[in-house]
Order: sequence, then structure tokens, then C-alpha cells
Amino acid sequence: MTSNTFLDQWIRNHFFDAVPICAAVIDRDYNLLYANKTFEDVYGDWRNRKCFSAYKKRDQPCGICKGSEAFSDGISRVSEETGYDQSGRMTRYIKHTIPVREPNGRIPYLLEMSIDITEANQVQRERKLLFDEVPCHIVLMDRQFRIVRANKKVRENFGEVVGQYCFEALKGLGLPCEDCTARQTFTDGKIHVGTHVWRSGLGHPVHHQVTTLPVPNENGTFDVVMEMTIDVSETMELHDRLNRAHHFMETLIHTAIDGVLAMDETGNVTILNPAARRLFGIQETTPVSGTSLTYMLPEGAIKRLIDGDERVFLPDSQIQTTTGETCPVRLSGARLQYEDQPLGMAFYIQDLTTLHQLEQQKLEAERLAAVGQTVAGLAHGVKNLITALEGGLYMLSSGMQKANIERMDKGLDMLARNIERISVFVKAFLGFAKGRHIRAWPCAPAAIAAEVVDLHSPKAHRLGIELRNEPAETDIPEAPIDYESMLECLTNLVGNAIDACQMSDRCADGLVRVRTFEERGVITYEVIDNGCGMDYEVKKKVFTNFFTTKGTGGTGLGLLTTKKIVQEHGGIIEMETEPGQGTTFRIRLPRSRLPKPASNGDAEPSNPSYHQV
Amino acid sequence: MAPKIMIVEDEPDIRLYLMAVLEDNGFIVCIPSDDASVCSMAQQERPDLILLDILMPRRSGVSIYRELRSNPNLSGTKIALFSGMDLEPNMETGGFHRLLGDDTISPPDGFIPKGIRVGSLLDAVRTLLEAPTR
Repeated sequence: MTSNTFLDQWIRNHFFDAVPICAAVIDRDYNLLYANKTFEDVYGDWRNRKCFSAYKKRDQPCGICKGSEAFSDGISRVSEETGYDQSGRMTRYIKHTIPVREPNGRIPYLLEMSIDITEANQVQRERKLLFDEVPCHIVLMDRQFRIVRANKKVRENFGEVVGQYCFEALKGLGLPCEDCTARQTFTDGKIHVGTHVWRSGLGHPVHHQVTTLPVPNENGTFDVVMEMTIDVSETMELHDRLNRAHHFMETLIHTAIDGVLAMDETGNVTILNPAARRLFGIQETTPVSGTSLTYMLPEGAIKRLIDGDERVFLPDSQIQTTTGETCPVRLSGARLQYEDQPLGMAFYIQDLTTLHQLEQQKLEAERLAAVGQTVAGLAHGVKNLITALEGGLYMLSSGMQKANIERMDKGLDMLARNIERISVFVKAFLGFAKGRHIRAWPCAPAAIAAEVVDLHSPKAHRLGIELRNEPAETDIPEAPIDYESMLECLTNLVGNAIDACQMSDRCADGLVRVRTFEERGVITYEVIDNGCGMDYEVKKKVFTNFFTTKGTGGTGLGLLTTKKIVQEHGGIIEMETEPGQGTTFRIRLPRSRLPKPASNGDAEPSNPSYHQV
Repeated sequence: MAPKIMIVEDEPDIRLYLMAVLEDNGFIVCIPSDDASVCSMAQQERPDLILLDILMPRRSGVSIYRELRSNPNLSGTKIALFSGMDLEPNMETGGFHRLLGDDTISPPDGFIPKGIRVGSLLDAVRTLLEAPTR
């Protein structure tokens, strides 16, 4: 036997059984004449059965029978069929029906080969699962916008909507939407995206992003559009909240009385509110560069933030305006960052012009008040002097009447002495009224206190009062102070304190302490005495309000002069008095407010440590 | 017997002036040697009137006034405060207590402002002396 013969025999005997598709031969009466193994595996024993019985478990031929068509027209055809396998499970298969034509043209048999596509159906099921379970709403609709299919999520939220108009079912509207993306897709066959507000099952509006796309059928046309929607309500709400917060911040910044400006990391100006524009003198429409602002802001403000400071606060600084003027401001700045990501820097600028004017007016008012008090004091001082002069005149005239030489001499002495006192008094008054120009030079604040204590120690010792200098433990750096004027201030306060001790009932324990220290940039002198009691209270009240020529001379002007000098140094003078404890006078000199050191044109005192009181 | 007046005034010129005026007009004047001896001298001399300056550098007149008033032996002694400053308004009512910061002490018998005119000073002194003792 040749190999060809063997192959012929093998094909005849085995090939039919070996092919992996169901193959069977039927006659014109639909009897199954032959079937291969695969067929038998699927449909069971086929012998003595009709094809409709094997494929479909029917008793009668099928209504539409592709086999009978093939017998009559002799054309091979392919059809999709549904049947049942031997265990009764539905199978889907593609059947090729091939007429077996005899040489004479008769067609006594048909070869039927069927391919099981039940597997493909599995894919379809998966597709359906995807359709239902995908976390978005999907509806299919026809050209009338009637929903023909809806996925589970739609059914859950809107109920059974198939058959309803989409605008009715999803939005509760009576007419299609104006901006219907499905209509656009039906018109041009393209994918369209839009946003819609639907009513939810609970009645509140839900924002959706909608995508509509055509569902093509076999011939490439389409009559159905698929609409997929994603709930973007949360995103929309966040967006809305962000917008509101932004608007809120923007309004705050825009309407702020203080200047607000911000720059990003690259130095672009991101915020420059109207108040800041006014401060710098920049027109509303003029663009501003970060570089120009760097020159206009107080020197070093930006640099400090760049160099690593988190914040910068300049309580008393100034900015440059576009017109080249300076404007007094209080400035605070901060580096901006979010979770390690630098965002630039921001500054808040408060215009101090009005405040400075008010301060100036207040100083002026205080000066005028001081002048008023001084004038009142002057009148009383004059009254005392007049009384003494009247006394002198009385003594002189009564001495003359009585020819009493001794009395006349006394009267003349009184007149001479009190005329001299008037002269001293007027000089002192003029000195105060004229004032002295403050000339500040860098000097050690503690040295002034030390000198005052040295000067007063002999007098205090004589009166049995202890006078103690208590400098700060650490040296206070030099500061621009008018040495001579500050010496005068402390002399006045120490003199008063010694008087207070002297007037106290406990004069024997009299103690005056002069403390000098600096805290947070404020140089402070304290003159503390333990001379206390109502007597001193009364006297103090009188001394702060009135002028007197009593005592060691010029004391009434002392506190007024002291106050004036302290004010000229930008400082304040405070007094605390505790009945039974004594009195503390405190001069506070913030370094930032100290006068500028006198220019080189002014003569520097040859020896600032030596001053005559 | 001539009325006796004690002058407590630290200003020597004014003290001398007052003394001369009062003595020239027939009063007996006594002057303490210092602030501390005011009370003891008053007890010893028993003046009819004490003229007390309320502004003195060592011990103010207020302190001395308090001491005088709190001494039972001197309860009948008239005291007039005497000052160059404008005394607070209503000194004869509540103002005096405000000045003292103490309302348990009875007010003085009179106030005599400085800027002395001889006539008005003598009038004031005589009026005070003639007034009944409290």
C-alpha cells in the first residue's frame, strides 16, 4: 500500500472523527446518517435521530430551516443557531450548511458543521456584568431619547426607566434638554461630553459629567446612543467651596485697610492690594515687578526671609514710594509654604503716617500742657516771691518809722535776697521754656547712672540715706543718648527720692536705689525709694502740678524738665507708688525710638563722662 | 493778755515778715526751732492760734497738722493753714480731706492764702481768734 493510499484510507476512516468541530451528514428527511465524535460528545447518541431532535431536542422540524433552504437552492450558508447539548444546557453555535451534490446535480445530503460559540457568550455575560457594575450610570437611548437599556446603577437611583424619555426619567423634565449631548451625537455621530444636573432618588440635585457615543450596528450606522455619566457632585462642591474661600480671601485682601502683598518663589508679584498700591503710590493698572518692590520695602525685609527667617516684624520702619518719598510703616512678613513646598512670601504693611501725626500732636499737646502747668507754677512762685518782697518792704518801712536800723537792714537783706531769687527763677524758667537741643552720642547707659549716684552720695550720706547704684549684670551696649540731659533727668529723680526719704517718718532706714537694665530693646532706669507715706503723696501731688521755689531750688521744674528730656529721647516716664512701700520712677527708652546720633557737624562733647550738674 | 500766735513756716523771710507784722500789732509770736519741736512747743506755749504752712520740705504741714490734731492736749488750739499755692476748691468742705487722703481728721479752723496784705492778714487772724473754740 502506497503512502497516498494510506492517507486516503486514514482520511476516510479517521479524519471525520478527528476534526474539533461538530460534523454531521443528513438526508432530505433530516435523518442523521453520519456524525463525528465531537458531535456525539456534544449532542449525544445521534443514530436513528433527526437533526432537529439532536440539535434542538425538538419533535418537529424547525420553523425556519436552513437545511431545507440549502436542499432547495443548493447554496452553502452560515447561520447562528441556538440548541441544547445532551445535558440540556443551551448552546449557541455557528452552523455551516454545505449541500453534497451528486454528479447529476441532485442534492441527497447536507454536510453540517457547527462551531460552539457558548464560550463567546461568556464574554457577553462579562460585558453585561461590566455594563451593570461599572461605577457610573449608563443608558442606551434611541433617536427619540427613549431609554432602551439602563445599567444597574441607573435602576438603583432612578428605578425602572426603560421605555421612558431620558430627560423625563433622569431630570424630571417634560422636554429634551437644550444642551443635550445625545442629540449632538445623533446628529454628527461623534462623542460628546457635557455636564448635567440630574435629580437624584432623594430629590437633591446631582452634578454629572456626561459622555455620549454612538453604538454602531453591523452595517456601520447607528440608531442607539450610549450615555455614560459620572457623578461629579463632590468635585463640584469642592470646587464651589474653593471658589467661595477664594472669593472670601480676595475680598478681605482687597478691602483691607493695611497693605497686603505677596510674591511667589520666582519673585513674581501675586498679590498687591489697593491699600498697598496706595502706600507705594502705584496706579491700579501699573504692573509691578518683585524687583521694584524689593527696593521699596524696608531694607533687609525680604533678605531675612530668603536667608531662612520664618517671619519678620518691623514695628517702626519705612518704605519708599514710587515718588521717592518715604512712608513710616509697621511691617510684618512671613515665608509661605505648604507641606515643605515653598510658596513665596507675604507682607502686611500698616501705614503709620496718621499715627505718627497723632503722636506728634500728642507730644505737642503734652508740651503745651507742661507750659500751662509751668505758667501756673510760675504765678505761684511769683506770689511767694512777692510775699517775701512785701515782707522786705514792710521791714524796711516799719524800721524807718521806728528808726530801727537793725530792722531796716533785715528789710534790705530780704529785698536783695528775693530780687536775686527772682533772677535765678527767671533764668531757670527761661532755660526750661527755651529747652535744649538734644544731641545724642553713643554712650554707655550704665555710666550715667553711676555718675549720678557718685554725685549724690555725699549728700545722701550726710542725711543718713543709703544711695545704691544697681547696674545690670551684663553690660548694656552703647546707645545714642544725650548724656548731659539724661544725667539731669536722673539727678532730678534721685534728688526727689532723697527728699522723699527725708520727709518719711522712717528717714533712718532711707534707701534710694538706681537700677539700670535693658529688656527686649528697652533701656530702663529705675529710681526706687522707700520714703513713703501720705505726706510724700501730698507733696508729690503738689510737686507734679505746681512750681515751687522752696527747698534746694528749681525742684518744681525738675520733673517737667525730666519728662521733656525723656520724651525727646522717644521714651516715657512712669511712676509707681505704693503706700508704705515707697515710690519708683521709671524711665523707659526703646532703642528703636532713640534719636539718631548727632551728625559729624555737631561737636562731640570732649569728655562725655564729665559733666557738672 | 495779748493773744499768742505760733508760726510754723520754713521760709525765713516770710517767717520774719509774719512775725514783724503780728508783733507790731500787739500779738505775742512764738516760733519752733525745727519741725520736730512743733508739737512739744505748742503744748508748752499753749498758743491761741497756730499758722501752719502746708508746704515744707522736711515734714509737710499736713504731717505736722495730723500730729497736732491727734494730740488731746491741743484739742482746743486753733489752727489755720497757710499756703502759697492755690488750695483745692472747696477746701473748707471735702477738699481738705482729699488733700489728706484721710477723712478722720477734722479740718483746720481757717485757711489763709499767701500774698499777704497786712490788713487782710490781721483781719483774718482776729476773726479766727474771736471765733468760738470748737
